[in-house]
Amino acid sequence: MKSLVINAEVDSPYYPEVYFNADTGICDIAGESYMEEAYKFYLPLINWIKEFVLNEKKPLTINFKLIYFNTSSSRLILDILDILKKFKDDGHKIIVNWYYDPDDPDVKDEVEDFEIESGMDIELQEMDK
Amino acid sequence: MFNNIPYNKNIISYHGPVNIDLISFMAKYIRDMIEANQVIVNRMHKVLVELTQNVSYYSAQVRNCSGNPNLQKGVGWFSIDEEEEAFVISTGNLIKKEHAPVLEKNCKEINRLDEQELRQLKRKTRSQSNIRDIGAHIGLIHTGLISGNPLQVEFNVIDEDHSFFKISVEINK
Repeated sequence: MKSLVINAEVDSPYYPEVYFNADTGICDIAGESYMEEAYKFYLPLINWIKEFVLNEKKPLTINFKLIYFNTSSSRLILDILDILKKFKDDGHKIIVNWYYDPDDPDVKDEVEDFEIESGMDIELQEMDK
Repeated sequence: MFNNIPYNKNIISYHGPVNIDLISFMAKYIRDMIEANQVIVNRMHKVLVELTQNVSYYSAQVRNCSGNPNLQKGVGWFSIDEEEEAFVISTGNLIKKEHAPVLEKNCKEINRLDEQELRQLKRKTRSQSNIRDIGAHIGLIHTGLISGNPLQVEFNVIDEDHSFFKISVEINK
C-alpha cells in the first residue's frame, strides 16, 4: 500500500500537510485546515485509513498537529475519529495524539468534545514552539 | 497627536466578494499585525474565519469570480475594530428575508446559553450536520464559545425579498 502524502502549499495555507506512512502506520496531519468543501479533502484520508487498517492489519497512530481548523473541518475530523473508534472496538491497535499550541487553550475543550462525541481516547501533547 | 484620538479605531474594513484567498490573507494579517497577546490573536483569527466564511457561503448576494459562473462567492462586508477593552469583529451581508426569523432565533439561543450548554449544542449540531454543507449555525455557536460574549446582531429590511444581517463579536483584551 502506498503512503499518502499531501505537501503544504504556500499559496493555499488553508490545506494541512498530510503524511500517512504505510510502512510505519504513523499518520500526521499538520498546519491549518479551513478549505472550502472540506469533505473533498478529507474523504481520501478517511478512505486511506480504512484501507490501511483493514488490509495492512498493523497498528495505526494518528497525530493531529493542526494550529487551526474551522467548524467544517471539525466535522470531518470527527468522522475520522468515529471510524478509528469502530476499528479500535474491533480489536485494532489505534492511537490518537493531539498536539496543541499552549497559546490556544480553547483547543483543549474542542479535543474534549471530540472525545465525548466519538468515544475515542485522545492524548493531548503540547506542541514544541 | 495620536494620544488625543479616541480609543475606538477601525483597523481594517472591506466590502466586496469574499473568497478563501481573501480570508486567508486576513487570517495572516491578524496573526502578523494585531498587537495583542497570542491567546487573543488566536481567538480573533478563529472568529474572523468563521464569520467571513459564512458570508462567502451564505450571502444572498453573490458575484462570479474569475468570470466563471460556477465560481460564485458571497458578497459582504467585514470590519475589525479596536476598543479600549476589546477587539470587535463584524460582518454584514444580505440574506433572504424568510431566513431572518430562524437566524435571529438561533442567535438569541446562543446568547442565552452558558459555556457548557453551548458546547453541548455545538456537539449536537455537528453530529446532525451534513458533511457537504455543515451550515452557518455551528459557526455561530463556535463564535459564541470562542468570544465568551453575546453575539450582537441586527436585521434591517432592504426590500421585499432581502434583509441585511450584521453581526458583531467582541474578543476581550
